[in-house]
Amino acid sequence: MIPTGEATLGPFFPPRYVDAAANDLTQFEGRKAQGEVIEISGRVAQEDGAPLENLVVEIWQADAQGIFRHPADPRHAQADPGFFGWGRAATDKDGRYVFRTIRPGAPAGRQPHVNFMVMFSGLLRILKTTMFFEDGPDPVLSLVSNRRNLLIGKKAEPTLVTFDIRLRGENETPFFDD
Amino acid sequence: MATIIRPRDERTQPARIVPGYPQTPLRNPREPLVRREPTLSELTGPLEVAGRVKLLGGDIAGHGAAQAIGQLMHLRVRVLDEDGAPVGGTVVEIWQANAAGRYIHPNDDDHAPPDPNFYGAARLVTDESGAFELRTVKPGAYPVPTGDGWWRPPHIHFSVFGKVWLSRLVTQMYFPGEPLNAQDRILNAVPDAAARERLVARYVPPTGNPHNALVFEHQIVLRGKAATAEQP
Ligand SMILES: [Fe+3]
Repeated sequence: MIPTGEATLGPFFPPRYVDAAANDLTQFEGRKAQGEVIEISGRVAQEDGAPLENLVVEIWQADAQGIFRHPADPRHAQADPGFFGWGRAATDKDGRYVFRTIRPGAPAGRQPHVNFMVMFSGLLRILKTTMFFEDGPDPVLSLVSNRRNLLIGKKAEPTLVTFDIRLRGENETPFFDD
Repeated sequence: MATIIRPRDERTQPARIVPGYPQTPLRNPREPLVRREPTLSELTGPLEVAGRVKLLGGDIAGHGAAQAIGQLMHLRVRVLDEDGAPVGGTVVEIWQANAAGRYIHPNDDDHAPPDPNFYGAARLVTDESGAFELRTVKPGAYPVPTGDGWWRPPHIHFSVFGKVWLSRLVTQMYFPGEPLNAQDRILNAVPDAAARERLVARYVPPTGNPHNALVFEHQIVLRGKAATAEQP
């Protein structure tokens, strides 16, 4: 069967769908996640640099040992029971999102990273990108050789990583088609 | 279970920049998207999202004295993968305008009246056959403030998670026979006519169900095929 066509989230995605706790990945079912707690934060802007409010950002990442909580991961039986791996945030009026999460470990063959999705009015398709913590050999980073620095989060404080997302224009974030 | 994600046929998916939709050239990348082979990271994804978000159920038409204004309708949807296999246990988020074309949202202005008995947001989980049913009222059309006569036809928004990161889908469903369908810039951003047709629900002639509701059926197909035994 052929996958259904995508469409924009539109301007009226219900605010109640982005509940305040959904951007906190540091606990799950009453357990604390293992690993180093960090904050990932950034500003999302369009071509003219204007910040975008109420834009929806979702992330998906491995746990502190680099294991994904999903049966396709051969190591998933050892996944951290206190870490769900998914979160959602909406940007504020300055275009800023914040996640509280743990620093992921390196999945097999990959550098530690966090998958991002951006959904918004005017985006007829979800935009997907990946944030890395530092440069290193990685099959996804190697695809964007001349722009790879734009995929690497900046260590603003010991436990704060900033990752700005520019949808279009100067320092445009590389997005993936997969 | 491993999932295979194949590149999509571009003609079945919307253009990113749409003439007459002024936000699209400001918000979509100028650089070509980078084609990548999915790795384990994109071929896994959040299951059991229902444990992280609040379910709201699928009955949003109200009852008795608190019934929403509009044409009562039942929408029966099945969520399948590319093999046609049901995607059960996945979270579906649904939002729509009321019968007058008004959303309960701070961004919606006062072009049409709100209905105190209609919030317009449902969130539920598909059953084992990938099915869910929504009891709602048929949404109204609404004007887009582009000032050049663009009205959105009646439609319902869906956000679906699926089994892996790349099966995540945000889409809209349209109604058959609506004259506004032919000029809608979002529906018609999909180049392939058959793909557009699949975004339109099927009208089921009423057979006198006890609630006298209009009945529509719809199918949502998420990306992904089950990996079968390796070919020699
Ligand atoms: Fe809408």
